[in-house]
Amino acid sequence: MMSQRSERRGIHLDQSELLCKKGCGYYGNTAWQGLCSKCWREENQRERQKQIQEDWALAERLQREEEEAYASRHQRAQSQPTITPFSKFEERKTKEKSSKVNTVTKFFTPSAKTPPKKDTTSFDTQSSPSPSSSSSRHPPADTDHATREFIDFLKPLKSGREIFKQCRAFTESMVYKRDMGADELSECVQDFYQNLSDRLQTQFKGSTEHVESVMDEVEKYMMTRLYKEVFCPETTDDEKKDLAIQKRIRALHWVTIEMLCVPVDEEIPEVSDSVVKAITDVIEMDSKRVPKDKLACITRCSKHIFNAIKISKKEAASADDFLPTLIYIVLKANPPRLQSNIQYITRFCNPSRLMTGEDGYYFTNLCCAVAFIEKLDGQSLNLSPEEFELYMSGQASPHWPQGAGASSPGSAALSQVHKRLDLLTGLGERQDRVIEKARQLESDLIDWTDEVEQKVQSVLESFPQETHNPTATTASGTTSAAASAIDSDNVENERLPPPLQPQVFAG
Amino acid sequence: MSAMRVDAKVVMLGKESVGKTSLVERYVHHRFLVGPYQNTIGAAFVAKPIQVGDKVITLGIWDTAGSERYEAMSRIYYRGARAAVVCYDLTDSSSFQRARFWVKELQNCEEHCKIYLCGTKNDLIEGDRSLRQIDYHDAQDFAEEIGAQHFETSSKTGSNVDDLFQKVAEDYNNTAFQYMTEEPGVDLGQKKDSYFYSCCHNN
Repeated sequence: MMSQRSERRGIHLDQSELLCKKGCGYYGNTAWQGLCSKCWREENQRERQKQIQEDWALAERLQREEEEAYASRHQRAQSQPTITPFSKFEERKTKEKSSKVNTVTKFFTPSAKTPPKKDTTSFDTQSSPSPSSSSSRHPPADTDHATREFIDFLKPLKSGREIFKQCRAFTESMVYKRDMGADELSECVQDFYQNLSDRLQTQFKGSTEHVESVMDEVEKYMMTRLYKEVFCPETTDDEKKDLAIQKRIRALHWVTIEMLCVPVDEEIPEVSDSVVKAITDVIEMDSKRVPKDKLACITRCSKHIFNAIKISKKEAASADDFLPTLIYIVLKANPPRLQSNIQYITRFCNPSRLMTGEDGYYFTNLCCAVAFIEKLDGQSLNLSPEEFELYMSGQASPHWPQGAGASSPGSAALSQVHKRLDLLTGLGERQDRVIEKARQLESDLIDWTDEVEQKVQSVLESFPQETHNPTATTASGTTSAAASAIDSDNVENERLPPPLQPQVFAG
Repeated sequence: MSAMRVDAKVVMLGKESVGKTSLVERYVHHRFLVGPYQNTIGAAFVAKPIQVGDKVITLGIWDTAGSERYEAMSRIYYRGARAAVVCYDLTDSSSFQRARFWVKELQNCEEHCKIYLCGTKNDLIEGDRSLRQIDYHDAQDFAEEIGAQHFETSSKTGSNVDDLFQKVAEDYNNTAFQYMTEEPGVDLGQKKDSYFYSCCHNN
């Protein structure tokens, strides 16, 4: 009775669910991820230990390079006045950090029982949902990965360490600017890009390819780390815009290839294949973190579109073909968080790439497509305002525009439906008729058997027992007796020809 | 080609089927594709390196959709462009009206964008003079009025096409230095301040 009631309330828990996940026999706690206090402390310590060791290693390295760079910077200080004060600040900061880390380590090392490290990677993944500590101190696995890659990339460079330090310091400083407007954040990041690339420019003596490859990595590292903070921030109405465009695209589901003058023939399998790929790519954009990767998705999508146009028209495509097709793809794909992504790219992408290069071109086209979809009216689809309203309100649909010469395409669809309904009712009637006939046949059959029975009865009555056979008197069975009586009656049986036998003819 | 670094953005503007794409196609690939309806040839974006003096300048040439239904969006296209080639069809006076529209737009929105007025399909006129609807001197006067360069080209024969883009690249090369010395100087000062302010602010 008790358990029944608690089940209804939904608070019933199995005994095993309450126990520590480690299986030590004590009770666990959800705040400790289902572990008991003892196991949790052990577990947590192991994670912290690792974190601290990593932090310490980083701090140590930074200090080392700080000292290394110190002398050289003094020589260069004259030529590069912009970095010196900043790096001094940076120096102080790293020192502060390393000392802090030191004390924390001291605090932890003696008490730690240092359990054997056997499976560090699995703990690494567990560390991300740990409730304590600020997010900057507990970067998730992928940002760690980005950091590692960035360091690897910078290693062979002469000034790699300095670049890393500045990027790291800047990235961390961004966390404190969370309350700033998105435009200000964007400005900060763009200024940083500009400063850094200017400095690199002088450093690499104008080798722009080199500078750009470094800047790409800088962008990748920084934006991977900052993504959560600066993508669709709460200070903007990006999210509202996302929802608005999403709703808008949904409302425009009826727009056809013909209305947009899209030169793509989806009947060709290769073309529809490209269209599907293009849609996939533009949707995939949302899953990338780095602006450059997002742009790469758009470029891939555009290449598929060009391919589709090329196959359909058997010519290479121009912008007059491309833009409508892109609009069509966006309408079909309804990419998630479209506005947020566009804003994010605009704010945090390396400006040179966005303004001039090929990626920039396709991105601009995407912006145009979105602007077109937002402003779209009947005129831009060669429709009258009334038709446009009808379609938008869902009262009519243009999906069978070539139907039966009807004045409005909507009625064509309706007539199709009617035709089909007529066909269905016709079929129903015929089925009813068949059933009726079948019933009649059944009753006819019953009648017929009755009739036959009656006839037999009447015949039997009109010719009653005229054969008087002595065997008939036995109780063994009247029918067999009657049969033999009929046979015996047949006196001329012997004179009849033998019955015909089936014969096999060759051939 | 996608990884190619681009120095300057050049937009092609003009009414549908005036031959923007043919112009680019002729310039980049030295060919002219013949078809019944000529509005679709070539790709929409090309990066073309050009030798200017002892330097190589890469122009990123942006083709744009000329249809009126996309007129409202044209501003997105030419944002940040360093040069715009505004095309009109020498045999179609309405295309010249549209060219005036774009010139006005550019003057309002992109003051750093140099304008190149380009009459296309010159070969048709050489075949039959009566086809000409835009007088050379009218166009020339208009070009002078707006401070633009004026060319009459033929993508079919290739006449004047290379000259046009060479001029674009040379002009860019000449003005690029001015930008470099002018703008960052002012910017840097601002940046430094804001940067440090924000850094100390965190502390």
